[in-house]
Amino acid sequence: MKNIKRLFKNEAARKILLFFNENPNCIDTAKGISLWIGGDINVIQKALAQLVKEGVITIHQAASTAAYAYTNNKEIVKKIEKYIKSML
Amino acid sequence: MKESDRKEKYDFLIRFSKSSSISAFRKICLKVLKKGRCSFLDSEYKPVKCVGECRHLKLGKYLAMMKSSHLREYMAFKCSCNKVCLSFPIVQGSSVYGHVLFMHLDSEPKKSAIDAIRISMDMALKEFQKEQELNKLYETIRPRAIALSTIHTIHRLLSSTLNMDELIERIARLTLQVMRSRHCSIMLLDESKKYLIPKAVINLDKEILRTDPQYRKIRLGVRMEGKVAKTGKVAILKNSVCVPLVEEEIIGVISARDKINDAPFDRFELEILITLAEQAVIAIKNAQMYEEQERMAYGSIKTLAALLDSKSPNTFTHSDQFVKMVLAIAEEIKLPREDIINLHYAALLPDTGKFSVPDEILKKPGSLSRKEYDIVKKQHLESIKIIEHMEFLKPAIPIIKHHHERFDGKGYPDGLEGNQIPAGARIMAVANAFEAMISARPYKGKKISAAQAIREIVRNKGTQFDPRTVDAFIKVAEKPEYRNI
Repeated sequence: MKNIKRLFKNEAARKILLFFNENPNCIDTAKGISLWIGGDINVIQKALAQLVKEGVITIHQAASTAAYAYTNNKEIVKKIEKYIKSML
Repeated sequence: MKESDRKEKYDFLIRFSKSSSISAFRKICLKVLKKGRCSFLDSEYKPVKCVGECRHLKLGKYLAMMKSSHLREYMAFKCSCNKVCLSFPIVQGSSVYGHVLFMHLDSEPKKSAIDAIRISMDMALKEFQKEQELNKLYETIRPRAIALSTIHTIHRLLSSTLNMDELIERIARLTLQVMRSRHCSIMLLDESKKYLIPKAVINLDKEILRTDPQYRKIRLGVRMEGKVAKTGKVAILKNSVCVPLVEEEIIGVISARDKINDAPFDRFELEILITLAEQAVIAIKNAQMYEEQERMAYGSIKTLAALLDSKSPNTFTHSDQFVKMVLAIAEEIKLPREDIINLHYAALLPDTGKFSVPDEILKKPGSLSRKEYDIVKKQHLESIKIIEHMEFLKPAIPIIKHHHERFDGKGYPDGLEGNQIPAGARIMAVANAFEAMISARPYKGKKISAAQAIREIVRNKGTQFDPRTVDAFIKVAEKPEYRNI
């Protein structure tokens, strides 16, 4: 994972990370996530793809559906949680 | 006052002082008092959120000393600087939650100004109450709506496969994700209903092999999983949770262990796992039904093949090794599962049409005459006539029909070329040629060695055979089990 600060600079990525930090049990499609956090689905989709690359978001791919969820990596989750707390 | 009451009132005051409804109140106060900035004092006149200079904080203590903590009315007074101040109570129902304090006013407020402030305060409180209710609703409904959406997504993910192994693995991975746990296992009851058989065990920290003790079967009633399967009751312990998979009767259990943040599992997570288990059962049952249907289909084809074989062994059907080779090439090419199933059907019955070819042609040693060859070429159409009545075999028809096409378009029956030829037919063409060369067929003459046959196929790569299929075939054919198919 790149520098967390850099991830949070992207507005869509920041919203996604805040959402998953608050709802870590969630699994949803890009459309669903864009509905929860607000924003253009294409922008959200792009940010999700980037976060998947970074290993922060996991993708569950099926034939007709791609769903996204928060990483199960304890270290990454902790780092993000700490960063969000420091932002408040 | 009880500590809990004090805290509740304090929290209310803090939220109210930060709420958007207070800004409208301030605007009114600015109009009638010429002062919009105010401080907040708690019900005992202790300052909680103050603007202005520190010396004004003493006002709170001053008011408290006046023993007016139960005062439900406004109070205009002069502070130590001899300037007019106004404290206004924040009252809701029978409770005084605190006071708003305006300091250093130009003059003592008139009654009309006090009335305006009172009305404005009432409105602000009502607005705040609405805001609070909305927030509460948002906090209660939103997580549930997100959970519901998660379950809906899980349903979509699970219903997109009918392959049992893939499905069970997917259920386990989704369980890990939703439960935020490090370990998950799915066990199904065996036919005797006495044992639980682990079907998927996933641990985020290490790979669990099928030979691992965690894959050993468990007797009903033993360990948490066994007890849940026996009683049908969910179990929630500090670091593990287990729910039964129930469809009329118990078919297995699903369990999660060790949350990634080391926190205990809560009731909300248990509810999610129960709902996930309900979805999983439906998907498992669908996959089981599909597997049963598949078995029936294979049974029908094998019966048909056996019937044909009884007329003339090895004429209408191919060896098991041939079928295995066809499937192995398909796996190597990574054909979709659905295509592999259809290819399997086609590989079991590629030459059914030979049934209509006279025995003297089938068993004729040496080359066939043009007329005889034309009869053999037409046998594919006969094959199709035989199997087209079986609905589940329809997707296999193009494979059977075109498995004598050549990559360069010089084959039969339609002279298709390149990718026009179905992928399954291109695979069958290579495997069929290999089998023909290494086995003695009446019209093919002497058999050759597997190595020679492979060389022959490579020589025809790109002309008779699809290059990609030949590459996959070479990898498969080099395996010892395919040397003598």
